[in-house]
Amino acid sequence: MRRRVAITGIGLVTPLGNSTADSWRALLEGRSGIAPITSFDPSGYPVQIAAEVRNFQPALDGSRRKLLKFASRHVQFALAAAQQAIEDAGVRPDPRSASRWACVAGSGMMGVAFEELAQIQRRLAPHGDFRGELMFKPGGPAPDPVAYGRNQANAGIALLVQCFGIKGYAGAIHTACASGGQAVGLALRLIRRGSADFALAGGFDSMINPIGLASFCLLGALSTDNDAPAQASRPFDLTRNGFVLGEGAGFMVLEEWQAARRRGARIYAELAGDGNSLSSYRVTDSHPSGDGPIQAMRRALEDAGADPAEVGYINAHGTSTIMNDRSECAAIRAVFGAASRVKVSSTKSLMGHLIAGAGAVEAAIGALVIHHGRLPVNANLNHPDPQCDLNFVREAEPPHRVRVAMSNSFGFGGSNSCLVLRHREDAGE
Amino acid sequence: MSEAVVITAAGAICALGADPGAILAALRAGRTAFAPLREWDSSTWPAPLAACADQLDAAAIFSDRKLLKSVQRLRRTDLLGLYAASRAIAASGMIEYRAALDGAQAAAFNENTAVFTGCGGVAYHYQYDFLPAMAAADGDIGVFGRQLGASVNPTWLLQALPNNVLCYLGIAYGFKGPNFCVTNHSVSGTTAIIEAFHSLRGGDAPRAVAVGHDAPIEPETILNLYHLGLLTSESVRPFDAARSGCLLGEGAAAMVLETASAAAQRGAAVLGTILGTGVATEAAGVLAIRPDGDGEARAIEMALEEAGVEPGAISLIAAHGNGTVNSDLSEAAAIRQVFGAVIPPVTSFKWALGHTMAAAGALDAVIALGCVRTALAPGIATLRDPDPRCLPLPVSAAATPLRGKIALVLGRGFGGMNTALVIQAPAEDCDE
Repeated sequence: MRRRVAITGIGLVTPLGNSTADSWRALLEGRSGIAPITSFDPSGYPVQIAAEVRNFQPALDGSRRKLLKFASRHVQFALAAAQQAIEDAGVRPDPRSASRWACVAGSGMMGVAFEELAQIQRRLAPHGDFRGELMFKPGGPAPDPVAYGRNQANAGIALLVQCFGIKGYAGAIHTACASGGQAVGLALRLIRRGSADFALAGGFDSMINPIGLASFCLLGALSTDNDAPAQASRPFDLTRNGFVLGEGAGFMVLEEWQAARRRGARIYAELAGDGNSLSSYRVTDSHPSGDGPIQAMRRALEDAGADPAEVGYINAHGTSTIMNDRSECAAIRAVFGAASRVKVSSTKSLMGHLIAGAGAVEAAIGALVIHHGRLPVNANLNHPDPQCDLNFVREAEPPHRVRVAMSNSFGFGGSNSCLVLRHREDAGE
Repeated sequence: MSEAVVITAAGAICALGADPGAILAALRAGRTAFAPLREWDSSTWPAPLAACADQLDAAAIFSDRKLLKSVQRLRRTDLLGLYAASRAIAASGMIEYRAALDGAQAAAFNENTAVFTGCGGVAYHYQYDFLPAMAAADGDIGVFGRQLGASVNPTWLLQALPNNVLCYLGIAYGFKGPNFCVTNHSVSGTTAIIEAFHSLRGGDAPRAVAVGHDAPIEPETILNLYHLGLLTSESVRPFDAARSGCLLGEGAAAMVLETASAAAQRGAAVLGTILGTGVATEAAGVLAIRPDGDGEARAIEMALEEAGVEPGAISLIAAHGNGTVNSDLSEAAAIRQVFGAVIPPVTSFKWALGHTMAAAGALDAVIALGCVRTALAPGIATLRDPDPRCLPLPVSAAATPLRGKIALVLGRGFGGMNTALVIQAPAEDCDE
């Protein structure tokens, strides 16, 4: 008999709040986290708005506080969200269980902070061209092992396992916007196949910095609605004009189902299915027919043993770009049927796009939807795109039971992730 | 009982050669591949040596010219990964097999082909593309923002994506199965193989392409690793008493994995079998490793258990053996802890091809497979006096004949990451 996986802890640091409760409340109230950028001067950029995490306090206490020097902004979000998730679950790695804990995270890609790059420029590229011969000369850069460690692609996962004493499987995943979803999916598989009994699984990112914002501005992927930040992200609306960058982290504690039941854990939902696919079409888009996302959704439903008719809510990838939104809607119609009335919303309408963190945060939202029986709205949907003809959550609805929820994440590079969550009472032990 | 997962093709490139056979031959000949860096004036650097994969023929990656043009804009790590993967896919014969299927079968073949990659993530030097705009802005972010369009390629972000090898293998071959890209320092490539193995064993797909690739040779990394005491100015001597550090290399390795029945169905030759895998972390810090080798020992034990073999069944250990003082010492401790006094021959390849970071584990796996297939392991040619603190590790400067067919491949990375793979060569293989 296949092992099942329970979600027993959730931690969120998002543009909507620095805790799960605050983020969830803002989602239900339809409060936007998008505003003018405050962390640096964006006046030279065509895009001057984003969904920033505000009033953030790093979470580590006592002796672990010294580790923060190794943590970039996005890693600090990760540590705080993971701390919340572990406290929320009421179970943590101890010397006896440490090797049965896994840690998997969709890890943001940006390494070198702007100020560090500025130092490199001053010392090694005074006129803009990099001069490696200056590297070891007097006046060249001083080695900075802490900064070097901080800039490693796996610094986040390394700090997570160190801070929480996790000694089993560790994995950092990067497939752009699919990273967080694929990481949570891998964690599900680790517990199922017996490689772990517990997993700290999530995603984290922050690209709201001079280089990250530049890289998306250069691509022309972002909304330039600087004058109306709260309305700038409008997935599935005819007038949408790009996505809005967000930042933050979401982590979940996953446990083998029977063990979670035995210890009397509060179970938000069953993490029931994981589906992955490659679009194999273009770097930035999936096919207008939905090919690619279709396979991910079908695989996830099949993996969960769920029928499309059981699904009560889809947290869409819904970036607010024409190509994504139309391809995703075509995929949902293909999987659920043209007559399906399944409820759909994109929470990116309120919290922007958390990139490598998005899939994990949105899967956690899916678990909260099932736990509370409430659906977050798709904000700013005033003129639905006729090619996005789905049953969107446009207003607050009375609480009702959601048996199965789905979370989609599709990344640049063509990786697609779909996760399926099931109500604990339908898990069928 | 899960089905066996077999290796039906391999591709590899590093400074020693552009295919697995050439790399193994160079190792056996005792040849190292280090040379002073040419990309920068490194004459004043204390550690100017590295192992560049000069034989990379980027034009040979794909035959489709339009596709070739778009991949040639990618970073070197991606070209290396795509090269090794395209060689492995070509060698597997899977594309010819697919061409003989009807439309629906071919579509199902693509949807059931998984792709897992592992790479180093974003390098410092990618961001050097922003230096001209920074110099012009002289610290003013407002000016910097306005300068960008003039000096930075609009597709900068897409060129920097860590998952580009995954992306272009999909576009080039139409593969649509389970996938992801691992960015976990030097265990990335091994983890890609490990997850491909589990994807097949768990029934998610009947075949997978697994790739590890990296081009870690860059000034910031050399500066910091040198000052951390991890880079040598001389030669790399794993497990030698006088070892003084590692040198960087670049490269990639790829494997085509199939379930035994999928391989049999298309009559594919079997190069080897993956028997078991282990992953464990030490939770000791971003740059730290435990001196007792605890994480590596547990990874080895997991892999042996998953493989269902006793330590005595292992005929070769391809160690991480990077030639740094503490890593080798703790690795020897880990091996001793699991194997006790009866340790099979131990070798390492980094003395010749350098530390290829995210590619290292995948390259080691492909090379180790060649060793057990031919029953001969290259020695550590730079070894003079084995470190007594690493004894009784059976390391040797000379090639060692192997008694059995099973290799244990070890990988380690920053963050206290450890992996182990157990690979078996087919019984009928003979000397090549």
